[in-house]
Amino acid sequence: MKIFFGLLIIIFLAFSGYHLTFRRFRLPLFARLFYLTGTEFLFLGLLLGPQFLNILDRETNKGLEPLSALLLGWIGMLFGFQFEIAKLRRFPFEFLGAAFMEGLITFGWILFGIYGVLSAFSNMPEHIKIVLSVTLAAVGASTGQTGLALLSPNTVARSPGVIKLLTYISSIDGLIALPIFGMVFLFCPQFFKTFSWVGQLKWGLSASLGLVLLYILFLTRRRKEKELILVVIGMAVLTSGTASVLHFSPLLINFFVGFCLVNLSSEKERIFDILISVEKPAYLLLLVFLGVNWRLDSPWILLMGAGYCLCRLLGKFFGGFAITRLNPEMNHYPPQLGFGLLDMGGLSLAILLDFQQGFPGHITGNAVSVVLTAVICNNFINFCFLDRLLKKGE
Amino acid sequence: MSELYQNRRELMSYLLGLFLLIAFALWIKSIDIGSSWQGAGLVNFSLGFVLLAAYMSAQILRIAKIPMISAYIFTGIVAGPYVSGFLTFSMVGQLRLIDDLALSFIALMAGGELHLRSLRKRGFAIGLNIFMITLAVFGLVFAFVVFMGGQFSLMKYLSSAQIMALGILLGVVAVARSPSSAIAIISECRASGPFTETVLGVTIVMDVLIIIFFTLALTVTRIILTDSGIVNQQAFIILFVELATSLLIGAVIGKGISFYIDRAGYDLPLFLLLTGFGITKASLWLGHFMEDRFDIYLHLEPLLICMSAGFTVQNFSKKGSEFMENLDRGALPVYVLFFSLAGASLNLEALRVCWPLALSLVGVRAVGIFIGTWLAGTITKDPPINNRTAWMAYLTQAGVAIGLAQLAQRQLPEIGTYLSTVVLAVISVNQIVGPITFKTALHKVGEAEKR
Repeated sequence: MKIFFGLLIIIFLAFSGYHLTFRRFRLPLFARLFYLTGTEFLFLGLLLGPQFLNILDRETNKGLEPLSALLLGWIGMLFGFQFEIAKLRRFPFEFLGAAFMEGLITFGWILFGIYGVLSAFSNMPEHIKIVLSVTLAAVGASTGQTGLALLSPNTVARSPGVIKLLTYISSIDGLIALPIFGMVFLFCPQFFKTFSWVGQLKWGLSASLGLVLLYILFLTRRRKEKELILVVIGMAVLTSGTASVLHFSPLLINFFVGFCLVNLSSEKERIFDILISVEKPAYLLLLVFLGVNWRLDSPWILLMGAGYCLCRLLGKFFGGFAITRLNPEMNHYPPQLGFGLLDMGGLSLAILLDFQQGFPGHITGNAVSVVLTAVICNNFINFCFLDRLLKKGE
Repeated sequence: MSELYQNRRELMSYLLGLFLLIAFALWIKSIDIGSSWQGAGLVNFSLGFVLLAAYMSAQILRIAKIPMISAYIFTGIVAGPYVSGFLTFSMVGQLRLIDDLALSFIALMAGGELHLRSLRKRGFAIGLNIFMITLAVFGLVFAFVVFMGGQFSLMKYLSSAQIMALGILLGVVAVARSPSSAIAIISECRASGPFTETVLGVTIVMDVLIIIFFTLALTVTRIILTDSGIVNQQAFIILFVELATSLLIGAVIGKGISFYIDRAGYDLPLFLLLTGFGITKASLWLGHFMEDRFDIYLHLEPLLICMSAGFTVQNFSKKGSEFMENLDRGALPVYVLFFSLAGASLNLEALRVCWPLALSLVGVRAVGIFIGTWLAGTITKDPPINNRTAWMAYLTQAGVAIGLAQLAQRQLPEIGTYLSTVVLAVISVNQIVGPITFKTALHKVGEAEKR
């Protein structure tokens, strides 16, 4: 059975390579969605992981920890770079309010939904329920932009206003989810023995400020591109490492550093160019790293994945409905706006990886498997709902 | 005046940055590590610290015209387990995989740096240099160990057969070079020209030949130590099969890389990263698989595969420059990481134990290299300045020599410990001195800053 699945995955991946090589080759819709969203890299991780080839075994994974720290740092910083105050102010204030409200509603909906299910059907300790619910809510509340990026120019030309709003919301709605997820690290039991909440927050903030200062010191003179790449890589790994030692979220601290840099440094454009140039490879590697620990040994995981996907869909729908109906100035946007925000992007997956590393264990493994199953479901329904929304919005 | 002011300002900013970084590191080190995740975090922090501290140290030492890779190595030594203990032995071990990844990148680059046209042009010079250096270095080191070895405390209690065996193995290991260091220095100095091409060609070809020489030496040594008098032909056949297979697989992968660049081309850094990782892991896996299933010991050399792949892309496709540009873009972090970890791995304890012998061997090896390169240069009628300075370009030694010493330690336990102690001590000196002399040589022959 294992060999059969292994072969199946190899065929999938070979097909992917074929597709990459012959760009003009037209794939059927299902396969196109599969490849365009990078889903095959989840399967690549699964293939390389302990369930099949065991190339990325436990020891190798341990050896690759600096690489995953770099990934988290990279994505956190990139997300921080989205919050350049001067640029955000160019958009109408309602957009910002809409992004926050949509993020908050989706987060709240998934949080209470999952907490309710866990309380009703499981007897796990209270703090684990909270950690799980907050993490899954944070993963679900963040939105990616792959679907929007893959829209045809004709579609974009038909509904420019809706697409502008969707792009804006999807680029910053993680701002609600990420800091709340960061607070989850305060719920780690062994942390209670060594630190206090306030103390940990204080240390986290001091460390972040120290890192920003160090960064600024590096950027006092204009560096060659190669040097800047080294500084960005070194700082991302250093920041992630600092966060882990302080038992804090590497993603959150890097986000904070990115936010400070984009608003303080004159080299922000060059750093952003470096960060964005490997955004896609970073995202694909993230999928591989997550795929390694993906377990599909129980049908319950598939079922729960579908349930999580549905819960998120409803959360997004309610979020979109609320922002278009509660604010009179946004009444002209379609009430199903949330259907355009179903994509799960790099930030969602980075939160998941952060969670997987910060809270290792069997329950975490299952939760990650559920979300990854949902990611795949989501990748397929996302395009249908987005298409439907944009047709209605015309 | 303004340049002096600029330099001083830069120096101050680097010193301040380094101070801040060290203070930060001391603070992080003082925190109690409670979970495995925090432990992993400390490894990541240390890696980031080494990257940035090595870079800043290199910028500070650059003002004193010291090559950057020496600064990286120096930072690694200071941060390593023998000096400050910031990087512990287990951390260095944990970072081995990242180190391997960096090495496969460097090997791809090394292959890509070799141009068939210039190899053809300098083929005779390269061949002659290899022959002369091998002969002179091996001969001198062997003679030194056999006739003088007994004078050193480390070898006082060895029998004459054991000293002879040690002499043969040390002689062969002394011939080994460090392609990664050579590539890094050439890249840093942006060197180009016949001298550079010859050094690079000799270094890379020697890296392949050394494995053959070493197997030969190991066989002879075994005969001396066991009096069995049998030459194991099968070992040589397997070795040639391994080398040929590695080169062939590398060529096929190289074709694959150029095909990918040609037809797809995007996400090339990720593709190359996965290729390097895949080659390293697949070689190991195949070795285990063949041994477990068929009881055949097949060791494919990942470095050779990567070099062959890089060489194929550069010389047998039109995508050589694109390939090198992509590798070059990420080269600096790779070099800093690789050489800092190499510095942290240097065995200073071995150097402390046998420094008189190590320093003598470094001197004898340098004399051997001088004689070899001078003779080769004179025969090929190279400019006199090149002949006088060529020896300076061949001093660095690293991974391959350590690997060979470890192999010998496993196969010949009766003298292996002595061998690896001496080799590690010699490498420690050569790795510190070599980059400085190589950079000086490139400047002396006027091939630095020519790209």
